[in-house]
Amino acid sequence: MQHLDDLIREAHRRIDTSTTLVALNDVRVHYLGRKGVLTEQLKSLGALPAAERAGAGQYINDAKRLVNEALDRRKQVLEQTELDAKLTAQALDITLPGRGHEPGGLHPVTRLLARVQALFERMGFRMETGPEIEDEFHNFDALNFKLDHPARAAMDTFYLRDWPLLLRTHTSPVQIRAMLAYGAPIRVIAPGRTFRHDSDVTHTPMFHQVEGLLVDEGVSMAHLRGTLSLFLQHFFERDDLQLRFRPSYFPFVEPGAEVDIRCIFCDGGGCRICKQGGWLEVLGCGLVHPNVLRACKINPERYTGWAFGLGVERLGMLRYGISDMRMNFENDIRFLQQFR
Amino acid sequence: MKISENWLREFINPAADAHALAERLTLAGIEVTSVTDALPPLDRVMVGEVKSVLPHPDADKLNICQVEAGSGRLLQIVCGAPNVHAGIKAPVILPGGRLPDGSEIRKAKLRGMESEGMLCSAHELALTDDHLGLMVLPADTPVGKTLTAVLGGADKIMEIEVTPNRGDCLSVLGIARELGALYDQDLKIPDAKPIAAVIKDMLPVKVEAPEGCRAFAGRIIRDLNSRATTPLWLCERLRRSGVRPIHPVVDITQYVMLELGQPMHAYDCTHIEGGIVVRWARTGERIKLLEGSEPELDKNVLVIADHRRVLGLAGIMGGSGSAVQDGTVDIYLECAWFSPTAISGRSRRLGLQTEAGYRFERGVDLQGQLRAMERATRLLMEITGGKPGPVTVMEEPRRQPSPVRLRRARLEKLLGIAVPGNDVVRILSRLGMPPQAAADGWDVVPPGYRFDIEVEEDLVEEVGRIHGYNLIPSLQYPGSASMALLPEKRLDMRRLQETLVQRGYQEVITYSFVDPELQRRLTGQQGIALANPIAADLAEMRLSLWVGLVQTLRYNRNRQQARVRIFETGLRFILEHNDIKQENVIAGLITGPQYPLQWGLPDRPADFADLKGDVEALLALSGNLERLEVLPAPHPALHPSQSAQLWLEGTDLGWLGVLHPQIAKILDIPSAVVFELKLEPLLMGRLPHSREVSRFPPIRRDLAVVVDETVTAAQLLQAARASGGAVVQDLRIFDIYRGPGIDSRRKSVALGLILQDSSRTLTNEAADAVMAQVAERLRCELGATIRD
Ligand SMILES: [Zn+2]
Repeated sequence: MQHLDDLIREAHRRIDTSTTLVALNDVRVHYLGRKGVLTEQLKSLGALPAAERAGAGQYINDAKRLVNEALDRRKQVLEQTELDAKLTAQALDITLPGRGHEPGGLHPVTRLLARVQALFERMGFRMETGPEIEDEFHNFDALNFKLDHPARAAMDTFYLRDWPLLLRTHTSPVQIRAMLAYGAPIRVIAPGRTFRHDSDVTHTPMFHQVEGLLVDEGVSMAHLRGTLSLFLQHFFERDDLQLRFRPSYFPFVEPGAEVDIRCIFCDGGGCRICKQGGWLEVLGCGLVHPNVLRACKINPERYTGWAFGLGVERLGMLRYGISDMRMNFENDIRFLQQFR
Repeated sequence: MKISENWLREFINPAADAHALAERLTLAGIEVTSVTDALPPLDRVMVGEVKSVLPHPDADKLNICQVEAGSGRLLQIVCGAPNVHAGIKAPVILPGGRLPDGSEIRKAKLRGMESEGMLCSAHELALTDDHLGLMVLPADTPVGKTLTAVLGGADKIMEIEVTPNRGDCLSVLGIARELGALYDQDLKIPDAKPIAAVIKDMLPVKVEAPEGCRAFAGRIIRDLNSRATTPLWLCERLRRSGVRPIHPVVDITQYVMLELGQPMHAYDCTHIEGGIVVRWARTGERIKLLEGSEPELDKNVLVIADHRRVLGLAGIMGGSGSAVQDGTVDIYLECAWFSPTAISGRSRRLGLQTEAGYRFERGVDLQGQLRAMERATRLLMEITGGKPGPVTVMEEPRRQPSPVRLRRARLEKLLGIAVPGNDVVRILSRLGMPPQAAADGWDVVPPGYRFDIEVEEDLVEEVGRIHGYNLIPSLQYPGSASMALLPEKRLDMRRLQETLVQRGYQEVITYSFVDPELQRRLTGQQGIALANPIAADLAEMRLSLWVGLVQTLRYNRNRQQARVRIFETGLRFILEHNDIKQENVIAGLITGPQYPLQWGLPDRPADFADLKGDVEALLALSGNLERLEVLPAPHPALHPSQSAQLWLEGTDLGWLGVLHPQIAKILDIPSAVVFELKLEPLLMGRLPHSREVSRFPPIRRDLAVVVDETVTAAQLLQAARASGGAVVQDLRIFDIYRGPGIDSRRKSVALGLILQDSSRTLTNEAADAVMAQVAERLRCELGATIRD
């Protein structure tokens, strides 16, 4: 069987040196094909004496099995190599930018309104909206603006030419509408556009306000302070944010206050933004004036409430550094896209 | 309002510096916006006396002055001021001193002549804006003293912003009273004892409009020294309060107003005929005013008149015909109480903002007239001399204001803290309203200068603000645990906004009032006009958000932005059945390339279909897309044959189309596609209802048909869907071809159908039958020929 051993050795050599599947297949055909060398060997068994036949047959079959296994192993290797080469050839420049639209963005005022709204909704306030062209009743009368009060004129109100109507100067009329519609107890916030006859770096004739209102039994200035502290701390994400209340005047609240926060830019040390004062004015507030409650058919002896109003563009200045209010409405796309 | 600290300290002198006082006032609601030095650093600036003036030998406009400035020897100073002459006193800055602007004054030669210092103008010393030459000091100013000393010494000016309800704080007295309450100290009020009449002269006074003038005090003073000048200290107090000295009599009335808050007016007595009448103006009456204008009056304007003509606008400004001037020796002093209702709005309407009007509009002390009259008379006696007559007083009987009850329990309930009773009494007393004890609290009668105390809450604020708002704790209100409704069928608007953002749109916010001309061009209509627009191009309420979007496009195109995709949500204001409808809409505009410049997509302009895809995406959110109807219709803003009106089950939803090329040309903007939709129907969605998804395999079949150009996609789709029946799961147009092989008035449309049965596997034969049915219907109904 010396001859067979050489044959097998030679087969292994040829298998291992085959570098393509085609070449490997030729090797398979050469040894194991119908007319292959090992197949021929089996056919020649018949020529052997019967006693040797079984042993030789076994020997040849083992050789066939070994060659077959070697062929399979080599085939797997070559297939993997071929696949690897194919996949390598399919390489993409994965650094090429993706295809399609790039997202636009929301206006900074919308972002801010959403944030304020979300925080108050977590405290159980419902959002209400109302008309921008208002009547004197909802914008002034019901809010305790007396007819002869200078504040009424000082508000610099836009009036319609052919109608006894005006553009709301604040979103407070929404509070009136909400109280008339739902009565007490009530918790609402009213975001929206407001209008005043004013135009310079810090004033645009249109701006946005969010007003909040809570009316219930036993509501005090302390509750107002508590809610506003919590809101401002969350809004600015500063749990050490300090507040101070300064008495102020709005006809529809009494007592009335303006709320300052410790300057978030200098921590109160004094800077350009807080005009060296260390405090930043953020909103106006107070306890709802009994005349307002009465105008909304709510008994001020039973119910008390608080209201606040804040300027959204002012928050944009504090939160995003938009120092020129006019930028908000010029709608320069390059400016707006910073806010997404 | 500017207030001098030194002046304030004559009334009350707490042991705290100006900044501390300012902080305390601010936290009590009297906002001090700034505290600044009343005088600039006046280093080595002395009072000098010009002894002699000789012309400079080598310069026309210069003089050589010998000046005595307290050093014991004369200084030679070269001076170019036109008003320099021997005998005047003026500030001198000595060599080594600095002007407020920082420049140092040195001994120097000017055109060859030695100059040892500089004679100064008020402007150079940063005291006023006057460019009137040297600051001439009164003759009795002591030579050799520092200018700072003779101007009353260092001082701080507090700039105070008083809220409109606190007219009582528009004076030194008013602010002092606040400090009295804050520091718990008594006030020192200047002497206002009546000055006895020396002469008997009086003018008859008739108040014909008592509703506008509740009190009127008048007095004649004769034989004033017409050569008297306003003393330096008084000029300086006025200057520190931001008031220009004019004439000693006028200066004194201004001084009293600043000090006590009571405006006054002085007339030249010789120009008053008969007597004084306080009345409403007659329509068409005119008066020449001190500041030069001559407004026409009407019966809403309160005037002071004599028996012949109008002398002045009550509480606002005097007329020039009766004004005190150089040489005036007999004057008539007026000190009245005009009601805010009679004054408010007038000065604004007439364009005359005056200190007096400002105070009367906010309400001056009902009982302050005589005090001011005596104070002014006393100052006049000191400064101009003269013989005062008796004071005429016309007064409406005053109703004692009814007391306001402050309940102890209510005070605590509203503030959220308990304020001790004796603190309440102390605070209210200091504010001039000593409370009377009552069963459950106190009764408080508001003083004549507080028009803002009407109800209990006003007193709660008074106690709270003086006690200190910042002593109030923070509490969370537990409140009722009600939950707001959350209707699921109603879409959150944020989803619409986000959808457009994902499709590359930038949200904008434009003004609700727009340019009427642009609006007319885009809507063919006139919007609701404002009575008092801030600008001519912001004069009408928008009828469509397109006006603002087009404006925004123009703005950005002017800034080289080729690709603009914007949207806005908000109200539009439409006249409907003689009523104003304020309707929430969403509108968008696209122009320029559909995609940002990139390697993987062709660079092509955005078109009608791109925008329509965006609109369809919005409708798909609420499940309304299948019910959308798109019909051709003309719109003034849109291309006549690329314009569509959108309908949703019979309601008009809005518009979509290409901007009219003529409009684009006139506005010099590129072609753009726009939409505007009512928000309300877009937000009305439905509750999803689950259906079983067919388990049987779908079959895709395509059908290419050639139809006339006039046949619309909607017609094809509708006919195909109707004839195909329930097995047509999906139906799409996937190609449109015009060109070789197709008649020029026809087009080839390729339809792709997904066929699927919900109960069994669809056979090829069944699918063929469906397709034959569809083809037949298209042929009969729409004249289609089928392509292979
Ligand atoms: Zn700061």
